[in-house]
Amino acid sequence: MPDQVQTTAVESPAATFGARARMKAPEWAALLVFLLAEIAFFTVNSPYFLSWPNIVNIVTALAITGILAAGGTILLIAGQFDLSVGSGTAFVALMFALAAQSLGILPATGVAILVGMGIGMLNGFLVTVVGVNALITTLGTLAIFRGLTLSIGGASSVRVTGFDWAIARPFFDIPLSALLFLVIAIAVAVVLSRTVFGRTIYAIGANENAARLVGIRTKKTLFLAFVISGLCMAVTGLVSASQLGSTSGTTGLGLELAVVTAIILGGTSLKGGTGSMFGTVLGLLIVGVLNNGMTLMNINSTWQQVAAGTLLILAVSFDQVRQRFIRS
Amino acid sequence: MSEAIFLSVRGIRKSFGPVKVLHGVDLDLPSGSVTALLGENGAGKSTLVRILAGDHHPDNGSIVIDGSPVAFRTVAQSRGAGIRLIAQEIADAPTLTVAENIALGSLPNRMGFVDFRAMRDMAQGALDALGADLPLDAPVSKLRLGERQIVEIARATVGASRCLIFDEPTAALSDAETKRLFSLIERMRERGATILYITHRLDEVFAIADRVCVLRDGRVSMDAKVDEVDQPAVVAAMVGRPVAAHQDHHAYVDSGASKLVAVKGLTSDSFSNVDVDVAPGEIVGLYGKVGSGVPELAGAIFGAVPYTGGKVEVAGENVSFRHPGEAIARGIGFLPADRASEGLLRTRTVAENLSAPSWRRLARGLFISRAAESRAFTQWHKDLKVRSRPDGSEKILTLSGGNQQKVLLGRWLEAGSRLLLLVEPTRGVDVGARQEIYHVLRDLARQGHGILIASSDYEDITEAATRAVVMVRGRVVAHLPQEEISTARLTEAAGGGVNA
Repeated sequence: MPDQVQTTAVESPAATFGARARMKAPEWAALLVFLLAEIAFFTVNSPYFLSWPNIVNIVTALAITGILAAGGTILLIAGQFDLSVGSGTAFVALMFALAAQSLGILPATGVAILVGMGIGMLNGFLVTVVGVNALITTLGTLAIFRGLTLSIGGASSVRVTGFDWAIARPFFDIPLSALLFLVIAIAVAVVLSRTVFGRTIYAIGANENAARLVGIRTKKTLFLAFVISGLCMAVTGLVSASQLGSTSGTTGLGLELAVVTAIILGGTSLKGGTGSMFGTVLGLLIVGVLNNGMTLMNINSTWQQVAAGTLLILAVSFDQVRQRFIRS
Repeated sequence: MSEAIFLSVRGIRKSFGPVKVLHGVDLDLPSGSVTALLGENGAGKSTLVRILAGDHHPDNGSIVIDGSPVAFRTVAQSRGAGIRLIAQEIADAPTLTVAENIALGSLPNRMGFVDFRAMRDMAQGALDALGADLPLDAPVSKLRLGERQIVEIARATVGASRCLIFDEPTAALSDAETKRLFSLIERMRERGATILYITHRLDEVFAIADRVCVLRDGRVSMDAKVDEVDQPAVVAAMVGRPVAAHQDHHAYVDSGASKLVAVKGLTSDSFSNVDVDVAPGEIVGLYGKVGSGVPELAGAIFGAVPYTGGKVEVAGENVSFRHPGEAIARGIGFLPADRASEGLLRTRTVAENLSAPSWRRLARGLFISRAAESRAFTQWHKDLKVRSRPDGSEKILTLSGGNQQKVLLGRWLEAGSRLLLLVEPTRGVDVGARQEIYHVLRDLARQGHGILIASSDYEDITEAATRAVVMVRGRVVAHLPQEEISTARLTEAAGGGVNA
């Protein structure tokens, strides 16, 4: 996140451009290099790794995390958080499954979208109107919707029948869930980089005060960003129900951590104002490739968590050191 | 008054990056005396006292206390030598109580455990000395600003304090509180303490100081006993030689055009019953020091700060903006006082920063391109003499303060604002860029823009304004037509004010 370099002093043009060249390259280049190194390593260690079916596997395994990370990237660039995405996904899936049993698939899909939006509106209302910190708000709604899912759904899982679209493979043997992730990622990338809404998101994250003073309705925009995150939960709830053919109280457990890890790994600053969807996709792939490769090498999945956590801390530490280097 | 020198400063120099703030300051502070330190904004007063407080380190020069040289590396070392700074900005611990705040830094303890009784006694004693009656157990966040200032002063007086440095202490104080502060200073002096007192108010200098020292552009321009100088001499030392006549001059001719904005009886916490208006082609200089309510008034017109009474008319129509966006839609632009915290989109590019209020207009449907932003910037790049790439593709923070300010001004030109509310438009801007900004403002006025400069810097007013309105403590105290605007008149009006 080289943009955070805080130099207001007059610099000679040569120094400025030198610093810029030094700053510009590593932003996502370092991530890309790391990803390629990972890929090279696993290719050497597993002959199956670089095959088309495995590549499709990696992307498919990222679909749910990735869709949530798309909404999360918008929020974090604006300087906000949503930790309720995992339990929101589970709650949407349960509401969908129950509605599908009595109303049928199509009306139940509508219910799922409304429930997802509702969660986003609740988070947005609490943060922008009541003024509760986003971390605390969504920590609260995380607990509430996990609890609701467990109380309403009970201990056993609820079956969903006739809803297996997400595992259909219409093109190049790629499941629809993975395609949906790619479409949403591209859409969010375009929204962030090319639209007025995207500009206002960056502006709010860069300096909420200044954004207000150039006439941006900061609260309205943030509310909308939370609703988008809620819509992402609606989509992932549906994808999850379709992929598994059922839903339970453990659906989407711990997703919020995977989502935040990928976004931050992808270079979005916790302070807001920087980052991109492209970076988030790189962050997702770095974690996804690591998990997939370790599985292929028969490394226990518990160690995959250790590796992902270590990676996150290393990436952010590296960035801190680099910023200090640039500043001095 | 004893003549023993407590603290002596020789040849102090200090630069921040390329900016030289102090160019060799010599100063002697005798025990049992009050020295008033004056100087305009940016003269180096705050830097000097922060060096004495151990907060900044001089690049050069020496500090001698009681005849032995010292080199403070930390604030604690300066405190250890008996020096206490009461800073301009309140730096208390809002959630702690009055007693805890006063004892902070010299907390009485027994084997590491706080001695609460001793702490309360200490706090009560310090407040009594100030003649202040504050609840010892209330958190300071519950107090008024002036009361918090009293707590800060009380904190500085506890323990072994031998030298008190006040940085504009009365800005937030009521008249009664000011009187009590003065009598405390009187008693401290009689006890042999050394007092350094920074102020903008000339009446205060003559009321309490024994000596007066004026800083101008990082050098001492006056160092004398108070009874050897008079008010005009002090003002002359502050402002220096008359500013060289500028090449261009803009005078407003009243063409009877209707006012862009007219404020009537506007009232809030920070100002009361203010009338001010701006016509096309006019540059109104609203002048006032810290606590005058000048920046808040500009913010209130823009809908950024709430007000409680009075009315605002834009183009003859009653308005009440709830959000800056509504003011912008009515052709008003606003340059905030604090560039870093209120103006700049810090992580974004120059072109983005300039085009921010105009994004909707520059967009095609929902979409906006970098190219459209760059075109918008390029158009103003030359007019404003911004030193950057012509397409403004670099990050805003790579520009110098003056160039950043030009970009923030350009925002409102691109947005087509006809009325510009500029708060401290040249703060943190170097001399060259300052003249360029004045030049741009005069040009804009000639083109029919109306400009309100809300500033605590007299030069903004003398250089650019076609008339001046002076405020003190939230009230308008003087109106000056263009031919009467001078540094002396402004300093006098703002310094004398309600006390005079």
